[in-house]
Amino acid sequence: MAQCLYTFNVNGHSQTVAADPLESLADVLRDRLHLTGTKKGCGAGDCGACTVLIDGSPVNTCLTPIGTVNGREITTIEGLAVNGELTPLQKAFVHEGGIQCGFCTPGMVISATHLLNDNPSPTTDEIKEALTGNLCRCTGYGGILRAVQRCDNYRGDGTCAKKAEPPADKSRKYDNVNISIPRVDAADKVTGRAVYTADVTLPNMAYGKLLGSPVAHGIIKKIDISKADALPGVLTILTGADVTDTLHGVSPARYDEEILAKTKVRHIGEPIAAVAAIDEATCKKALSLIDVEIEPLTPVLDPMQAVADGAPIVHERYKGNINTHVEQEFGDLEKGFADSYHVREEEFIGNHIQQAPMEPHASVATWDHDGTLVLYSSTQVPHYVQYMMAHVLHIPLGKIRVIRPAVGGGFGGKAATSPIDICSALLSKATGRPIKMVYTREETFTYGRGRHKQYMKFKLGVDKEGRIKAFKSEIYLDGGAYSSFGVATAYYAGSMIPTLYHLPAYRYDGYRIMTNKPACGAMRGHGVPQPRFAFECLLNMVADDIGMDPVEIRLRNAMDANTMTVNDLDIGSCEYKATLEQVREKSDWNNKYGKLPAGKGIGIGCGGFVSGAGYCIYRGQVQLSHEKPREHFQKKSIFPHANAIAKVSEDGMAVVLMIGAADIGQGSDTVLVQMCAESLGIPASRIRMRSEDSDISPIDLGAYSSRITLMGGHAVSRAGTAVVEKMKPYAAKLLGCDPSEVEARHATMFPRGNESHTVLWEEVARQYFNDKGPLVGTGCYKPPDGLGGDYKGATVGTSPAYSFGSAVCEVNVDLETGKVKVEKFTDYHDCGTPINPQSVHGQVEGAIVMSTGETIMEDIQFDEKGNILNPNLHGYLLMTIKDAPEIFSGLVDSYESRGPFGAKEIGEGSTLPVLGAVAHAIANATGVWIKDLPITPEKILNALRKKQESAEAPSLAATR
Amino acid sequence: MRVCMPTTLSDACSMLADAGTAGRVMAGGTDLLVDWPQRAHEHDDTIWIDLSRVTPLRRITCADHVLRLGALTTYWDVVQSEQAAEAFPLLKQAARVVGSLQIQTRGTWAGNIMNGSPAADGVLALMAYDTTIELRSTAGVRRVSLDTFYTGYRSTVARADEILESIVLRRHRYRIQYFEKIGTRQAQAITKVGLALTQDSADHSWRVVMNSMAPTVTRCPALEGVLSAQQPMAGPDAWLPIIDADVSPIDDLRSTSRYRRVVAARLLHSALADRCDWIGQ
Ligand SMILES: Cc1cc2nc3c(=O)[nH]c(=O)nc-3n(C[C@H](O)[C@H](O)[C@H](O)COP(=O)(O)OP(=O)(O)OC[C@H]3O[C@@H](n4cnc5c(N)ncnc54)[C@H](O)[C@@H]3O)c2cc1C
Ligand code: FES
Ligand code: FES
Repeated sequence: MAQCLYTFNVNGHSQTVAADPLESLADVLRDRLHLTGTKKGCGAGDCGACTVLIDGSPVNTCLTPIGTVNGREITTIEGLAVNGELTPLQKAFVHEGGIQCGFCTPGMVISATHLLNDNPSPTTDEIKEALTGNLCRCTGYGGILRAVQRCDNYRGDGTCAKKAEPPADKSRKYDNVNISIPRVDAADKVTGRAVYTADVTLPNMAYGKLLGSPVAHGIIKKIDISKADALPGVLTILTGADVTDTLHGVSPARYDEEILAKTKVRHIGEPIAAVAAIDEATCKKALSLIDVEIEPLTPVLDPMQAVADGAPIVHERYKGNINTHVEQEFGDLEKGFADSYHVREEEFIGNHIQQAPMEPHASVATWDHDGTLVLYSSTQVPHYVQYMMAHVLHIPLGKIRVIRPAVGGGFGGKAATSPIDICSALLSKATGRPIKMVYTREETFTYGRGRHKQYMKFKLGVDKEGRIKAFKSEIYLDGGAYSSFGVATAYYAGSMIPTLYHLPAYRYDGYRIMTNKPACGAMRGHGVPQPRFAFECLLNMVADDIGMDPVEIRLRNAMDANTMTVNDLDIGSCEYKATLEQVREKSDWNNKYGKLPAGKGIGIGCGGFVSGAGYCIYRGQVQLSHEKPREHFQKKSIFPHANAIAKVSEDGMAVVLMIGAADIGQGSDTVLVQMCAESLGIPASRIRMRSEDSDISPIDLGAYSSRITLMGGHAVSRAGTAVVEKMKPYAAKLLGCDPSEVEARHATMFPRGNESHTVLWEEVARQYFNDKGPLVGTGCYKPPDGLGGDYKGATVGTSPAYSFGSAVCEVNVDLETGKVKVEKFTDYHDCGTPINPQSVHGQVEGAIVMSTGETIMEDIQFDEKGNILNPNLHGYLLMTIKDAPEIFSGLVDSYESRGPFGAKEIGEGSTLPVLGAVAHAIANATGVWIKDLPITPEKILNALRKKQESAEAPSLAATR
Repeated sequence: MRVCMPTTLSDACSMLADAGTAGRVMAGGTDLLVDWPQRAHEHDDTIWIDLSRVTPLRRITCADHVLRLGALTTYWDVVQSEQAAEAFPLLKQAARVVGSLQIQTRGTWAGNIMNGSPAADGVLALMAYDTTIELRSTAGVRRVSLDTFYTGYRSTVARADEILESIVLRRHRYRIQYFEKIGTRQAQAITKVGLALTQDSADHSWRVVMNSMAPTVTRCPALEGVLSAQQPMAGPDAWLPIIDADVSPIDDLRSTSRYRRVVAARLLHSALADRCDWIGQ
């Protein structure tokens, strides 16, 4: 199409660009004007990440053709802060916890700026109305709402700088931990400066796209690329014939994914070809010209049908479509049920949901002349990406440099090496040019890796006092077409149930089933939220059956500190009972439960999670997997899971902290900086984090299993301590004391007990440098040896520490329409010492909103051919700011001796109580239990109608 | 693919006429550009007539009991127009529940009509009033009542060479004006059940309009008949047979036929029981 010149004003300056008239303003701003603060989360008007002001009104730039903005006035996020000074609203976002991954932040700030321009003191409802078009997957909107409400507090001068450094309080045990400092990346994110993978542009860069299979199950007969290859602008096209046979995946025993499908396709959207071209539009056009002939096979979409005799087989290697079978029994189950006073058996069904982080996956690959691959990836697990790239490319891990720019949320969806990680590298190799590949929102759905839908059959027996005697669980997990994380998922679905309650006898049978749908993977709370939902619901039903209060039955069974669970998980600190007592009190449970009018309900749910997995995903040492000898499993870590280097600048004024831990929005960079600062005895503001580049930072296994605070925390604090140890002799000399007496705090060093006799920290560092050269400390962390029992799958669920939490939910159900409004949540957690309480509350708020959405609206739907019916953010529903409940998040006193400064986890544990609490509250409001998720208005009305019919049936019979 | 950016309506009409079947009119683009540029290659032969520079089409005028919305009038324009909001309150109600503010500032009423979605919320409100649309082509202007504009799922009486120039609402006095949209989410929801009602206070005539209940947004003559006859209704379920005479909701991604019928009946009953004493309980 012919390009035209367009002139418009951006942030006060006139700009002229040549563009196609239908090119979106989002693309023009991002690709031509390099204003990458404007984000693209959906391309369909649903998410608001691309919002800018045109002539003062907010619009979605993804839907705004450049032809329509000629002569108009545009304000982007880059235009708000003048001369680097944040606006009061931006400061408020920074300080009130309005930012996590930051991907929604620019759009959110623009929308809120528009509101405040018109209405400087908006009401809460007005704020919500103004922000309905901006979706946030991380914060639960709590911090965002507070930021807009409290914006006034940030007017005037320099609040931001003043607040950044809390005044030293000498009475505190810690100076830098257990304190809410703003995120270290907040200012970058609120100004649009933070660089995400899709924002990366390299010289001579070209673009790549994948062709997805149009059928769910079939045999590839022919792929003819000749027409596509002839299209001007196309650089190269790869098909299955051009790539190695090496299979990849997550669980080493089950690598089963091809780079590009060679003979068989197993789900719609499975990559079958990759094209590189000079721009995305050409890629897309080329894909439409590839001629693919696939002989269709009958797809199998329902896992319960997939295990039936004669069902189509998805993979020859998984007989009967069973990918993983778990069978575990602990204690005397038969006796437990025989001794029970009451036994109840129920079936529950979860839903297939998607992480849907606001940032779609992106990769940019380029090769250095020495044969090193440089891969920018929006990943949660840079190290596993490095490991898997080495595996598929057959080059040593040392020849792979993974750069993880800012990541716009992951929640498990970015915890595996993606086809675009691999294909961008292959296309780059083939073309000799850097290649950028970015998933569309639809592709994030067809790539999949969402939550497994689980079909659960649970049986629970209790004695007269409500004490659990036995529990039996049978679960079928719909795995989709590939293994991915699924083996672990199937084990997790069983292993985490015994961490909350004392179970004398427990049996778990798990089956992960293959179907012709995108592979499921690990999502926040990995495998556990659905069984936890079902268990908590069943416990509430049983409590009702025996006439006991739901909180009381929990207190009678609640886990205690220093307990070995029935499945050999080693519980250390545990304040579960305190969380129960606190939510009961704070929510006024005793005055509400059973006492609310019809349509109003209150419910409780509980949950907890691991603080890091006890074992690495792969076995053995870091080494090219093809050459790795088969190693006998030993109950200990072969290498440290978290590794850090603290390097002090030569003048002693700054410390660079290097650790490959992935901050994906959860805030790990900030808490790691805080913990390192605490060990170093200097303020956090003196530390700069370098976590994004594998060439700079040593391995950390990444952001999964809620591991970074505990494991990374140990590594950075040990690195800090190592630095201080090296400084002590120099300090001792200056102070005239013994090195063993030296302490570091408040950027000074002093003899223990004599804080007035100090020497400046930086002076000591300089003395060290003058004498010995670079002042560097390293630290690492290995989980304790010997974790887990001696049965198959005993490693899954092991962890150095466990979190606990309880949540009470209050809902309003419109009994006419079945519409649910989740009004309020009261949540207490035991996360050990909160390193950054604001961050902890942010995780809790985000988890409550995300998991409430999971309970009442999120659901991936398929047609009978295996097409996803809602691969977008208008069909797949995320909670908006208007859907979000009011949340009280509280923490109980807790200290975990295995955690750094007493810390455990919050990221995933925070999701687990939510589903059960919402389901219980709805049951309490309506008088009907809905046991399959999501609990939609349609299901509620159906259940109410059935209940009414069965109530009427006897009376009808009587009159006849 | 070509894009024409006329600055006058008559140019736009000739360009559209010249384009023949390849021509497509574009206003705010909120329907057309979804998933652009991924879908660009499907439009290799399209000739776009972008109306955005025909600035007079943005105008809202309100005079002599007639409200006139130009083809480029957005939802947000109506929200901000006190006159429009006062004369036709359901328009503002509808505007505020279309997508989000970012959609309301770009999406047009005309685009909502011409797009022909059965879930169109703007059309739901417009049809509850006495609304006519003016279609212009090189052959002149044609006026069509919105009531008879739709002929089936995404099909209308408009010809490919016609541009919707303005939407004309004739103001009556109303005894009842009601608008309700039921979606799953509290905001940014696509309508599962939509109901708009007006009753003229002069001749007591009714307009009952539903969306997402049939292949098009539609008036409901059977319901209007029952209301005009002031037929008492025993309860929400009593409305179901009449609803079934007017609409035929389906099971789809978003909801079920049963849900839609039952909720429509309940909305009707509670809306009217409050406002009409003859309905009964
Ligand atoms: C995220 C999102 C949320 C949405 N939510 C809602 C919602 O809640 N309720 C709802 O009803 N809609 C919703 N929509 C749909 C959309 O915003 C409306 O249909 C809008 O009114 C269309 O107007 P437009 O100007 O953007 O039309 P365009 O996209 O420009 O055009 C739409 C159609 O109308 C034709 N057309 C436009 N103007 C004319 C004209 N003057 N003459 C002839 N033909 C014309 C075009 O050719 C095209 O076929 C949503 C859309 C998005 C992207
Ligand atoms: S990218 Fe524009 S609204 Fe999502
Ligand atoms: S902070 Fe809002 S999407 Fe991540």
